[in-house]
Amino acid sequence: MNSELYKYPFYLIMHPFNGYWELKYDRNQKASIVISFVILFLLAVTNIMQSQYSGFVVNLVNPNGMNSFMEILYVVVPVLFWCVANWSLTTLMDGEGKFVDIFTSTCFALIPFVIIQLPWILLSNFISLQETAFYHFSSSIAMIWCVFLLFVGNMTVHQYTPSKTIGTIILTIAAMGFMAFLSLLFFSLIQQMLAFISVIYQELVLRS
Amino acid sequence: MLKGRLQTKVYLFIALCCLISMGMGGTIAKAAEDAGSYNYSFWGDTVAAPAAYKATSLWNGESMGIGPLKEPSDLHVTADKQIYLLDTGNNRVVILNQQFELVRMITSYVHEGKEEMFQNPQGLFVTDEKQLFVADTGNQRVVHLDQDDKLVKVIESPESELLQDPFKFEPVRVVVDKAQRIYVMAAGVFDGFMEFNANGEFTSFIGANRVFFSPVEYFWKMLSTQAQRSQMVMFTPTEFSNLDINDEGFLYATNSQMQNNVRKLNARGGDILREEGYFPPEGDIRFMKADGPTRLVDIDVADSEIYAILDANRGRIFTYNGDGHFMYVFGGLGNQLGEFHTPVALERVGDDYLILDKALGEITVFQSTEYGRTLNEAVRAYYKGDEEQANTLFHQTINMNANLEFAYAGIGKALIRQGDYGEAMKYFKQSMDQKGYSKAFLLYRKQVLREHFTAIMTGMLGLVIVALLIKKYRKKKGGRQVASIEQ
Repeated sequence: MNSELYKYPFYLIMHPFNGYWELKYDRNQKASIVISFVILFLLAVTNIMQSQYSGFVVNLVNPNGMNSFMEILYVVVPVLFWCVANWSLTTLMDGEGKFVDIFTSTCFALIPFVIIQLPWILLSNFISLQETAFYHFSSSIAMIWCVFLLFVGNMTVHQYTPSKTIGTIILTIAAMGFMAFLSLLFFSLIQQMLAFISVIYQELVLRS
Repeated sequence: MLKGRLQTKVYLFIALCCLISMGMGGTIAKAAEDAGSYNYSFWGDTVAAPAAYKATSLWNGESMGIGPLKEPSDLHVTADKQIYLLDTGNNRVVILNQQFELVRMITSYVHEGKEEMFQNPQGLFVTDEKQLFVADTGNQRVVHLDQDDKLVKVIESPESELLQDPFKFEPVRVVVDKAQRIYVMAAGVFDGFMEFNANGEFTSFIGANRVFFSPVEYFWKMLSTQAQRSQMVMFTPTEFSNLDINDEGFLYATNSQMQNNVRKLNARGGDILREEGYFPPEGDIRFMKADGPTRLVDIDVADSEIYAILDANRGRIFTYNGDGHFMYVFGGLGNQLGEFHTPVALERVGDDYLILDKALGEITVFQSTEYGRTLNEAVRAYYKGDEEQANTLFHQTINMNANLEFAYAGIGKALIRQGDYGEAMKYFKQSMDQKGYSKAFLLYRKQVLREHFTAIMTGMLGLVIVALLIKKYRKKKGGRQVASIEQ
């Protein structure tokens, strides 16, 4: 059982069609959620390590502008947005997936990023500028792999046809943009309201 | 108990002392900074820098003993440090020596038997043989005088099918190369500089500016009709704002458009300016929206490819080395010594800078501080390829200004030459120079691998043997395991 827990994600990324089918219908959901959170955590760690420890030839990050908390947000927020947008859309478009399914399938699709990028953090310290081509190549591989897994995951979870899956993915991305806009609007309004209240408070305090 | 409390107090006291002394150190460092001088870091932040140049004296018409200057517009300094000053409002050329004492004055010349005066001349140039070229704008011609102020020739409005029909020749700036080719910057000419041969015949245009336009504008232009299009702004290249020529005969030109404001032109008119610096060598990269970007009005090329540009918007002089690294800035607009009202021209006498102010009719002399001198010498040594010398001088400059990031790359290159690759990597990293770092790293990697070749090979062989042994062992054991599961 224990060795199954860490072997299964690797099985899934190598055999996505079978893997996602199992994930939806056969696997223990609680275990999958735990694995998903572990993957998210590892991805956040990879992200932070990348900007801190990657080799100089591939990594030009202003140390003053780096913020680990923001790096975590850069991982968590897009995943969250994706899941919410995808769930909102697929409930309207007769998708069969529950929110949990969407979340776990998305997280499992992110594994290539971790297993490809994490070793490269160490390796990038030992390459020269000419060899950075390999670095960029492998990160594009990770990207393509991740997109493919997302596609298969979506298709399996919602039991869609391939063309419908592609349509949903495009719509999901549009919905994510919409959500980002709404949250920006929301936060800016809240900020203005708070500013207004604080100004009134100051006025009262200064006049009394 | 009491002892413990005393100990804490002692610790607290020590900590307090440390904190206070830290604060004091900070204030001392701050007092040494110069508010006016700055540099841009790799990240585009403005960082403080010591002043490289300080204004030392101010000269106007009275103090030079030639009567008030009226809207002077150009300066030129010859190799033997004679200063040629073009006093536009008084229609004269004033020649001064290095001490700003009058040598002679040129107010008129004999043309076709008649004595003629300059009329609103805007630019002048002096060749190495002390032949004087004046862009006599009001008379619509370029006047060429020899070293005895005798007229050699006059370049009148040229005739060529390259020119539009009602062509008004208004030369504003003039420059002559070693082959006596004359380059004229004329008002209202968008096709680049006008090039004349040694006989004063117009040959061609050189180095037209590229046209920059936004895609949106282009899109609307594509959609609009012919009639609408004729109402719109045309995509014409902008005029140049000034030019200078270096010892090798390359033209340096400035203009004031969106980008690509400093250009180094080769004989074909192509831009060959090196832009290896962190930002394009075009003055300020940070500015208030209200002030607008840098507006360049003059450029001066010194030895070792060092060049300086003059920003009329904020009265600042920016100096760059041949690679396009930002060296230092000085000047400003204001009423103090070292500040200007309408700076128009910039020249160098040796290492000193002369800035001509048109509205006030004054010349400000800037002399280098120790920091400026060291930096100039370091850049020179580096340009000459004297790595040893450059290394020590760059070390001295970064001791005076640790924020001067490109100096670290200079040291790194010297260290590569000396074979200290590991150390060189550190310096390249300091200056955010990935190319240099990579070069040093490759050499360093080779060096390390060569040194530890035996150890590495032994280790690898050992690993292979261990792996083989493990495999054999597992096969032996694993066979049984598989069998037991199948049972």
